[in-house]
Amino acid sequence: MPRSIWNGTITFGLAAVPIKLYSATESKSVSFHEVHLNDGARVEHKRVCPKHDREIPAEETVKGYEVAGGKYVVLEKDEIKAAAGDRGKVIHLEEFVDATAIDPVFFEKTYYAGPRDDSEPYRVLFEALRRSGRAGIGRFSFHDREYLVAARSLENVIGLHTMRFHDEVVTGDQLDLPGGGRKPARREIEMAEKLISMLEEEFDPRDHEDSYRDSVLELIKRKAAGEEIDLLADVEPEHGDDLAAALEASLASGSS
Amino acid sequence: MARALWSGSISFGLVNVPVQLVSAARDQDLHFHQLHAEDKRRLEQRRVCSEEDVEVSWEEVGHGYDLDGKQVVLTDEELGAAEPRKTRTIDIDSFTPLEAIDPIYFDHPYFLVPAGDSEGTMRAYRLLVAVMDREGQVALGRFVMRTKEYLAAVRARDGALALTTMRFADEVRSAEQIASQGKKPAKRAVDNAIAIIEELSTAWEPTDYTDCYRKRLQRVVAKKRKGGKIAAPEQEREPEPAEDLMAALERTLKTVRDGGGAREARNAGGGASGDDLEELNREELYERAQREDIPGRSKMGKKDLIAALSR
Repeated sequence: MPRSIWNGTITFGLAAVPIKLYSATESKSVSFHEVHLNDGARVEHKRVCPKHDREIPAEETVKGYEVAGGKYVVLEKDEIKAAAGDRGKVIHLEEFVDATAIDPVFFEKTYYAGPRDDSEPYRVLFEALRRSGRAGIGRFSFHDREYLVAARSLENVIGLHTMRFHDEVVTGDQLDLPGGGRKPARREIEMAEKLISMLEEEFDPRDHEDSYRDSVLELIKRKAAGEEIDLLADVEPEHGDDLAAALEASLASGSS
Repeated sequence: MARALWSGSISFGLVNVPVQLVSAARDQDLHFHQLHAEDKRRLEQRRVCSEEDVEVSWEEVGHGYDLDGKQVVLTDEELGAAEPRKTRTIDIDSFTPLEAIDPIYFDHPYFLVPAGDSEGTMRAYRLLVAVMDREGQVALGRFVMRTKEYLAAVRARDGALALTTMRFADEVRSAEQIASQGKKPAKRAVDNAIAIIEELSTAWEPTDYTDCYRKRLQRVVAKKRKGGKIAAPEQEREPEPAEDLMAALERTLKTVRDGGGAREARNAGGGASGDDLEELNREELYERAQREDIPGRSKMGKKDLIAALSR
């Protein structure tokens, strides 16, 4: 049984649903530690006071918010905590939206909300979310801060996504892309569309494996065996100017 | 423009477009710094060699890996040799409809912007945006950034190519052991719950939600700066599950059918009073007054709104 990271209650109206929260994702990349190349010793991160020029242990530090150059307002842990609000361990679902209408950019991190004491209210909420296809929106206090969350049915549990706020999301017009220039030609669009339909596949996450992890582990073993690692020159693909010709050639190679 | 986090090419068939990756998420958090309590100086993070006690610059740092008790060290360049093509190219291998991907797979949002503004680059970039926009399809591909490979979904958003990094299938945990093992809930209870959900349904409008935490934190900082005292608000108590779930659902349904929101429905049983109105700004209070249809709300100030809402 996975370990839960939080206990609380989801409400909608007068129905209270006791839940346990679990992480839904984990990173599987090969992790390295920092090493000093000169002597192979580990690199340590030290927090140093520039005035005293010595490492400062955690108990001699405070948290400060910079209000002017070099001027800080010091906040105690409890004062930062106060900003998390008064919701405690309760997530009120305030309103419901079509879960598919939420653009992917808003989703941040996903948790699984499982039942506490395997209660009836949990099964009712899960089933209602599943059948309606809606996501309940609420606020969630976790580790002394508050998040916007969307609760929806996910596989056979309630999934809880923390969400980005609208002003945390960059929009296309803020990119200042160069304008003007010629629009793509009708024939280029048709060929590109054809190419897309040739590459269309049903999404199965298991089709996409992280092969880099294995490549890196392979590399580590080669290096450990004393092998010289070939530093390949950058393989920069060609950026041809003839778009139509590139599309045509892609279609020809794809259909062969 | 935002800082490029990666640069290379996106490759679609034999069409290669030089691009740069920029973040599509803007950090709006209030950042705190570690200070030395004694002199309120901001602490500096230093990389120090554990043997020589000298500061180590970025260029002198290698990637160490513990292979069966033996340390193996790779340089940036050697690591780049693991998958040279993927380090420089996002190869599109397939297309799929956006709705086929569950949000659990989405990680961080980025934009791909054209690198350089040559005629050829811009035309190819615009072609990708145009066709993906028309087809409503997302392109799936993989690439390597720093020391990790990413699965990426590329699509058109706001006239640009948006890239979202995704989690690999084995990075998503199984929910099987967490799921309820109990019997199917009563149909009437579920029907009532769905009716409540439909009553409380609205269109997804991201601008409806503001980061109250950020605002409260700003207020805490401002208050502290003036020498004020900050007390943690009393925490709401966790409500107990209703003795009679069916009755609770029916009472909730009645309240929301009579035009009440989730908040009123919660309080219909005389339960906890919910969040602290004092902490909301006028705009947020006004929205609540709107929902509760409080007469004369447009002329009310913050104080009057709080008074009217607490009645």
